Amino acid sequence: MTTDNSKTGVGQGLDQAAKAALLRETMPFKTVPDATLRRIADLAKEETLPAGTRLYNEGDRADDLFVIASGKIEHALGPEAEASKLVKMVKRGDVIGWAALLSTKQRRLATTVAEADTQILRINAQKLRDLFQNDQQTGDMVMSRFATMIKEDYTLPDWLAKTRSIGEGTVARSEAEVPVSESRLALLGYRLGLWVKSPKPYLMITGFTAVLLFWHFSVDVFEWPRFRNMPGLVEVITEWLSRDPIYGLSVWTPEYYTHIIVSIRRVFIAFLLATALGVTLGLFMGWSKGVREFVFPVFETLRPVPILAWVPLAIIIFFHPESTVIFLTFLASFYATALNTMLGVDSIDESYSRAASCLGANKWQVFRHVIVPGALPFIFTGLQISVGVAWFSLVAAEMVSGEFGLGFVINTSYTMVKYPTIVIGMITLGAVGYTTSAMVRMLGDHLMQWRVRELAMGGR
Amino acid sequence: MSAVMNRNTQPSKYGATRGAIQIKNVDKIYDPEGAAVKAVDNCTLDIPAGEICMVVGPSGCGKTTLLNAIAGFHSITSGEITLDGELLCGPGKPQAEPGSDRVVVFQNGALFPWKTNLENVAFGPIVQGKMSKKEAYEKARSLMADAGLGRSERNYPGEISSGVRRRVEIVRALMNDPAVLLLDEPYRALDSLTKSVMHESLLETYYKNKVTIFFITHDLEEAIFLGHRVVIMTSRPCRPKKILEVDIPHPRDYNALTSTRFRELMDETMDAVHEEAVKAFEAGEKEG
Repeated sequence: MTTDNSKTGVGQGLDQAAKAALLRETMPFKTVPDATLRRIADLAKEETLPAGTRLYNEGDRADDLFVIASGKIEHALGPEAEASKLVKMVKRGDVIGWAALLSTKQRRLATTVAEADTQILRINAQKLRDLFQNDQQTGDMVMSRFATMIKEDYTLPDWLAKTRSIGEGTVARSEAEVPVSESRLALLGYRLGLWVKSPKPYLMITGFTAVLLFWHFSVDVFEWPRFRNMPGLVEVITEWLSRDPIYGLSVWTPEYYTHIIVSIRRVFIAFLLATALGVTLGLFMGWSKGVREFVFPVFETLRPVPILAWVPLAIIIFFHPESTVIFLTFLASFYATALNTMLGVDSIDESYSRAASCLGANKWQVFRHVIVPGALPFIFTGLQISVGVAWFSLVAAEMVSGEFGLGFVINTSYTMVKYPTIVIGMITLGAVGYTTSAMVRMLGDHLMQWRVRELAMGGR
Repeated sequence: MSAVMNRNTQPSKYGATRGAIQIKNVDKIYDPEGAAVKAVDNCTLDIPAGEICMVVGPSGCGKTTLLNAIAGFHSITSGEITLDGELLCGPGKPQAEPGSDRVVVFQNGALFPWKTNLENVAFGPIVQGKMSKKEAYEKARSLMADAGLGRSERNYPGEISSGVRRRVEIVRALMNDPAVLLLDEPYRALDSLTKSVMHESLLETYYKNKVTIFFITHDLEEAIFLGHRVVIMTSRPCRPKKILEVDIPHPRDYNALTSTRFRELMDETMDAVHEEAVKAFEAGEKEG
């Protein structure tokens, strides 16, 4: 039963262009050519639902799909959908009623109730499919985008999130058959759109603005005595963006990039070495009691020695400034990675190793299939700390030794009284450091899909 | 192994040709910091091939110690354990080798969270080098489909409910064609409704593959419903106190629970179990 035609009013507000514009905002219809989109808009009937109206119930026959124009609707999936997230509030630009397009059976999987007065477009699924008969390519693209949306936004399992294809009528076609790169890119764009619509970016901007305003007011406006010698926001930005910087360093000068690249190179080498050695040592310390008893006391004695205390010895040993800096940068990262990796191995429940040996795995197979992947979450926590610590020690090392790099910039700018340049160096460090740790996090998520999905199930 | 099997191909009364466990005078003394704690005391138990043997006892009584000794996770202090006449552990060999003929299903589940359910099920034959990856995946797929788990193949264990996880774990064990399944309170953390579904599915699996099942629990109802025999253990140190033959015929379904015979058996054993539970409580044993 398609329900409640009687209860819904039919408004006259939206013309074809406005409907098309609305459809353009939705995930499935975003990339439809204009001419086709206008014809879809002609199929779309506008309706108004007063707050509290039930649009359809779980189990009803599914003939139409709906695009929300304004207001909001609570969309509650039933158990049959096996979705990982059951209740979702849908708003302008969202499409519901997609059960009408599924390859399984055209029954409603959710119950939907208008939370506020809501304006919707009703599109008959059969008519939509008929329309696509003339342009099957677009039709299949729209269907695959529906499948992707159902899977990603409504968290339906793969087997259910299959839409009927246009060409062969009732033959199921999953989005997996569409080139993956295409649908991924579309999804990325769509997610970016969602992010921009969410409050997150604006909160982030507000946070940055607050800090910058405090800086500006404390230095330039109130001129607090403590900040007397501190360069102001305006001065720093002007210097940073100047084609002809007073103190010689800005985004327009090549040296600026030399410093950045030199620093990144050092951190990169040190981080790679620290990761390779730290993960290996950590895994063996965690795995083998013998190795641990042998190495750990030495490790724990050396670990508290600060980087700066290592400087004289490092210079004596390595002599060459570049190696000295890399060694100092490496050291703290290595400790962080090794220690976290070891704790990661400790954290693995003994049952996993036992289960593996029950199933016939030998010692090395247990190491490879249980110890390494089991420690991975801790390893990546360690790597995120480690990459931060690497930047931290890099600056200390560059202040002592070396002739390029962001730490060097900060230190020499201080001795040469180029105060704005100090701040430029600091901000650049922050930005580059943030980027590197974000990259480590992304790599971790990529390698630990199981964990990402598990956390997603926990309603992160 | 195979030599022994050939010698002894006479099916047991449960219609199985392998999986007979004999536990003879087994002692296990833990010695943490010099304070000897006796966990298992002169325990003797004979489990015919293909029996569902339910072991009931108060928490921390040492039942898991016994299971760990069979599985090869712990040593025993004296006595011996054999599987189909072959020595697992005993004089001169305190600890058995873990092996895929005796697969354990753990209390809190031990599906590898970093492998998909299908990869978990296919794990055994692949690491043993018994099958190619392709063959193992094919067999795993068909076993999972038979168990109605086809849908969860590509999911990670963290994405499915704990009841389904237990079923996948049992399929993972069966994938190795074991002689014995060792279950260590596998359904402890499940709610009673899910439990009842699990019980029926376990029995269904058992009827299809006649393996010996050594099942530890402290749920008397579960024990009587599933088992051919219920072994009630004393509180620490652990030794069989009473062995109950459950004469309700297999195949059983949930109607068995309401039968008069079932109630009688419950009554008959309740006192023994309760007595040991009180002893264990008074001794203040740590739950294990």
